[in-house]
Amino acid sequence: MSRESRKGLNRRSLLKSAAAVGAFPLVNISRSWAAEETIGNYPAGVKGDSVFVGVIVPLTGAYSAEGADHLKGFQLAFEHLNNGGGLVSKIPTLSGKGVLGKKIVYKWADNQTKPGPAVQAATAFITNDKAMMISGCSSSATAIALEKVAQRYRVINMVGGSGANETTGKDCQRYAFRSQPSAYMAAKALAPAIGKELGKNRKAVYLVPDYAYGHSVFDSTSKFTEQQLGWKTVGQQLCPVGTADYSSFLLNIANSGADVFVNVAFGADSVASTKQAKQFGVLDKMKMIVPNLSAFQGKEVGAEIMQGVYGTLDFWWTQAETIPEAKIFVDAFEAKYKYKPRWLAHIAYTQMLVWADAVERAKTFNPVSVIKALEAEHKLKMPLGEVYYRACDHQQVRAVPVVVGKKPSEMRNPEDVYKIVGLTPGPDVVPPCDSTGCKLPSY
Amino acid sequence: MNWSLLWAQLFNGLTLGALLVLVAMGLTIIFGALGVINFAHGAFYMVGAYAGYVAYAATHSFVLAVIAGAAALLLVGIVIERGLIRYYYRRPHEDQILATFGLGIILVEAVRAWFGGISQRLPVPTWGTGAVNLGFLYYPTYRIEVLGIVAVTLVVLYLVLYRTRLGLIVRAGIEDQLMVNVLGINVNRTFLVVFGLGSMAAGFAGVINAPIVTVVPDMGELVLVQSFVVIVIGGVGSFWGALIGGLIAGEIISLTAIVQPAYSEVMLFAAMAIVLILRPQGLFGVQGRQ
Amino acid sequence: MIVEKLSARGPLGRWLPEAAAVVGLLIFPSVFALIGGTADMADRILIWGIFGLGFDILFGFTGLLSFGQAAFFGSGGFMTAYLLIAGVTDNAMVALLIGTAFAAILGVIIGALSLRRSGIYFAMLTLAFGEMFYFLDISPLKEYTGGENGLSGVPATHVGIGKWFVELHTPEGMYWVIAILFLIGFWLARRIVNSSFGAVLLSIRENGERARTLGHDIQKYKLAAFVIAATYAGVAGSLFGLFQGYMPPDGFYLETSGQLVVQTIMGGAGTLVGPTVGALVWIYLRTALQQLPLVGPVWKMVLGIIFVLIVTLFRRGICGGIAILWERLVGSGVAGATAPAVAVAATDKSPRTRAPLTGKVILEAKDLTKRYGGLTAVDKVSFQVVEGEIRALIGPNGAGKTTFFNMLAGAIPPTGGEMFFRGERITSAGSTAICQRGLVKSFQINQLFPSLTVWDNVRIPAIARTYGKFHPSMLRDVGNSEELNALIAQSLAAVHLSDRAHAPARELAYGEKRRLEIGLALATKPSTLLLDEPTAGMSPSERQDTIRLLKSVAAGVTIVIVEHDMDVVFGLADRITVLFNGRKIAEGPPDAIKANPEVRAAYLGNPVQK
Repeated sequence: MSRESRKGLNRRSLLKSAAAVGAFPLVNISRSWAAEETIGNYPAGVKGDSVFVGVIVPLTGAYSAEGADHLKGFQLAFEHLNNGGGLVSKIPTLSGKGVLGKKIVYKWADNQTKPGPAVQAATAFITNDKAMMISGCSSSATAIALEKVAQRYRVINMVGGSGANETTGKDCQRYAFRSQPSAYMAAKALAPAIGKELGKNRKAVYLVPDYAYGHSVFDSTSKFTEQQLGWKTVGQQLCPVGTADYSSFLLNIANSGADVFVNVAFGADSVASTKQAKQFGVLDKMKMIVPNLSAFQGKEVGAEIMQGVYGTLDFWWTQAETIPEAKIFVDAFEAKYKYKPRWLAHIAYTQMLVWADAVERAKTFNPVSVIKALEAEHKLKMPLGEVYYRACDHQQVRAVPVVVGKKPSEMRNPEDVYKIVGLTPGPDVVPPCDSTGCKLPSY
Repeated sequence: MNWSLLWAQLFNGLTLGALLVLVAMGLTIIFGALGVINFAHGAFYMVGAYAGYVAYAATHSFVLAVIAGAAALLLVGIVIERGLIRYYYRRPHEDQILATFGLGIILVEAVRAWFGGISQRLPVPTWGTGAVNLGFLYYPTYRIEVLGIVAVTLVVLYLVLYRTRLGLIVRAGIEDQLMVNVLGINVNRTFLVVFGLGSMAAGFAGVINAPIVTVVPDMGELVLVQSFVVIVIGGVGSFWGALIGGLIAGEIISLTAIVQPAYSEVMLFAAMAIVLILRPQGLFGVQGRQ
Repeated sequence: MIVEKLSARGPLGRWLPEAAAVVGLLIFPSVFALIGGTADMADRILIWGIFGLGFDILFGFTGLLSFGQAAFFGSGGFMTAYLLIAGVTDNAMVALLIGTAFAAILGVIIGALSLRRSGIYFAMLTLAFGEMFYFLDISPLKEYTGGENGLSGVPATHVGIGKWFVELHTPEGMYWVIAILFLIGFWLARRIVNSSFGAVLLSIRENGERARTLGHDIQKYKLAAFVIAATYAGVAGSLFGLFQGYMPPDGFYLETSGQLVVQTIMGGAGTLVGPTVGALVWIYLRTALQQLPLVGPVWKMVLGIIFVLIVTLFRRGICGGIAILWERLVGSGVAGATAPAVAVAATDKSPRTRAPLTGKVILEAKDLTKRYGGLTAVDKVSFQVVEGEIRALIGPNGAGKTTFFNMLAGAIPPTGGEMFFRGERITSAGSTAICQRGLVKSFQINQLFPSLTVWDNVRIPAIARTYGKFHPSMLRDVGNSEELNALIAQSLAAVHLSDRAHAPARELAYGEKRRLEIGLALATKPSTLLLDEPTAGMSPSERQDTIRLLKSVAAGVTIVIVEHDMDVVFGLADRITVLFNGRKIAEGPPDAIKANPEVRAAYLGNPVQK
């Protein structure tokens, strides 16, 4: 801080003296000084009366449904930040008249559920639109790619949907913050709840999509169920991502002698494998657990099959019944979009508010100051209760909802798919700071 | 080695293969008879599934859904043949690939714009729910029924191809396109019918598969590539080739799953490469047709 | 006229495309900015452009459609990124070179396997290899490639000496590096397509089989083209990873191969700049459409519609379309005219007298047999042709003449028996080697290179004659070779096509095509010429011309001719061999054959055409 203020002083005095000499040198000198103080797009990106935020979501490709939900969360957040309303009115630092008095302007780009286009879009937002913050993405591969872009250009990245441990583990970045529970957190939250419901000494078989996220979830879930519940892992069935027909894998699973089926597949893959598991009678013989439920899985698969299935979610809308902040968010969202928000909308909405709060507290858009404000571990009341980012790995410490699929007869409306069986407090599930493998780069 | 699992996977390979055969048949008919490589085939399959879904949502009848899926694609096929494909018969393969590829994008994104990216549900028909105990295997009833459906479809296709005038022309086209033209057959109408039939086969396959796979706009992407593998293994343009190719592909996926499940898909491509290097025209292909 | 234009343009004209490229690359960033383009997009367009230069040589010029180019793009990119991240080298250009070399080596291996097949099967093989590489990237090699996360954190590097350097990590700085590499790539590609090597590639696209029978080892040419494309892909992939500081797994996606094909055909295959134009349209629209108010959410559908329209309306892509328009506006096309002035200067040499018959056997068949299943098409035919003679081969339809001929030319392998040419055994040598030894066949059904000009058609055998069956000289302008030009001019004059040198072969009249067919064979400077019904389909007056032509050609050349027209046969031949039902039934001078009762009997059911 002292270094900066000294520079600022120098600059001001220099500008004064330059102004005395004439207008032309003033321009030059101010430019050269500005260049030296630049951090990412600061201050170039805050010169006007608005600031730019780049949103990168999948609107085509495998996660297009999630991406559409995600985008709506962003749009609602920006509307509230700019014009007031929703949770913005509950957070004292936020004015409802933009952030630090500047309107938020945003553009979205379709990342097509692929890291390549995501990086391209992020780069364009940063270099052309002078984005002060980027956010979005719905897969860990995309998230990790964007984290590194953010670090390189020194622009803050509020990571969207990403469950892999690496996102705030070995691939963590100073400029990136993640709110979704990691696979580790989900598994640690899940274990006690399923232990209570399914008992100890079970035999579990896993369907694992063959990519980093899949392995991450498998490692964490098998570890906690073995350690805490004494379960045995009797099989790990790897499958290619994007498989349409899981019959050959399900035969192996049916043949494994397990009594619990842990389905790690995500998105459309999870829907297909779950449907087919039902058809193969796997779900009649075994209890199913989905460590990380996809946003629309309940609706897509149907309550008939999802009943009795255990899993975790970033957020489930029935939290509105117990948490006032959740009610404000869910009501505002439903009023605007006519359906219950899913967890990607929740991630987008809360991340934007948390970021805005940090900027207001830092009193500047200077990313270094904003990062420090976020790292101050200041607690905010959000739809999940109190949340904050850990300084050590930039993982949000937040409660993890554990849910079970309702019986069709218990559902009050078609979207009432899950019952929340536990809301495990964040501090109980985050990994110890020294175990994550995260080494944050410099500011 | 777990013998019961081996038998189970062998049987599963058969049903998996049957579904692949169904999907690949439309592609091979169109390519064989018209020489058009239809890259919109996967999209046709997807549109068929969606048409079935819409019909099912309205009527709750699976049979009507199947009819709707097939009929919708017959219509789509006819419209597209008249509106686009016919301008491409005399153009190089690459142009056809591109036009149909673009067409596929349009169809997929139109469906996404209308229905959203969320997957839709077309449940297993009431007569197909549950599972059957085969002694060595507990297997979904619907999949066993699909085996029958595919068999009947193939018999019908066989009769059309080998017992009708239309079939004669189609097969002649596969052997020698020039000859068909020389014989002064009303090629125009025949092409229309063949393209319509091929599209219809894709739509039919889409609905039949819908209760098993997820009905999403991108569902045809994988299907397109797998269909190519199937018809290349079997021999491009060959009825028997598509049949045998599909069954082989099904067994490859299933048997690889016993040993190294993550490799099941790549094994398909490896098999295709090996077949092509050793026996270029495919197992049942007509030599010289390229 | 074209020749005059070309020579008038002189050295300036020859460098015009490169000069245009330099100017284009210089002004591109500022012009592109006017429509909302950015340095980042410009970089991507040029990287795809480099990728496309190689692919155009493979697809646009050689006619080989590959769906597996992502394998080389990804391999080059990941190798380069890995070398820099692992710290094997900290010099980006060294890493790029190694990455490119790696892609090229893979190109040799995949090419050798894939090129065993052609057409759609070749395309499917490349697709299969592409998908296998993707799998290797995602699964077994993920330790090195980062799996689906890709390789990020490619260290910030710069190129240059001392204080003159360019940061590779700013899109603006990277632009100039990529632009220079693009320029080098473009210059090289132009040299390649204008070389004798490039001419042969074109002939493979037009009619690969014919190129083979004219003495080119087309497998080697195809492989070379494949490796060139892989090399360009390697450069592009390496640049892609360098400039983003991140090599995404997308590099190996099937969609990457697909996008390349899309951009190339949309922009115009066979134009070299086409793929870059296609990339410009595709990448710009992809970004711009997303930002339009109503179109945004359905951008991909709109892009699909635009794309289908372009493909449907522009038959040869955007660049091809512009070229056609240009030709219509400016008049006759300059494009494709590569014949130098010497073509016109060359004149018909005075007809030479026939060389005396030496009595030395030049071509011999011993018990040559061909069976197809149970059918014996040619049954133990033996014959000897003496150097300098004109031998006719006659017989009713189905006598086995064409089969016998095809065996002599190496087009089909005999089932039994032996063949000797100039004392050497050529039984299983194959058409390319046989042609290289001076025995060449002209076809009954014209086998030309339809899109090439007459001059360029004849150039193909001339190259085989002058440089051998494989001549990987890629940098010398083929139009500048005096030796070739003289041979082409001489061959054209011999078949009276000098004044048609600049017409595309497909525009020739039938008789002219027949003469060109013979001209192709002549330009290999054969010592023995196999003519399969040279007058087939000709009018009587054309036939007379052809006989005269053949007589003049016969100077110093041994000719074996299959012919139905007995006027031609008896007007030309020194000796006649008669085949019937696959067997030789008679042989001798024309008069003896005319009088031979067995020959008459053979023709009874099938009267002599008159």
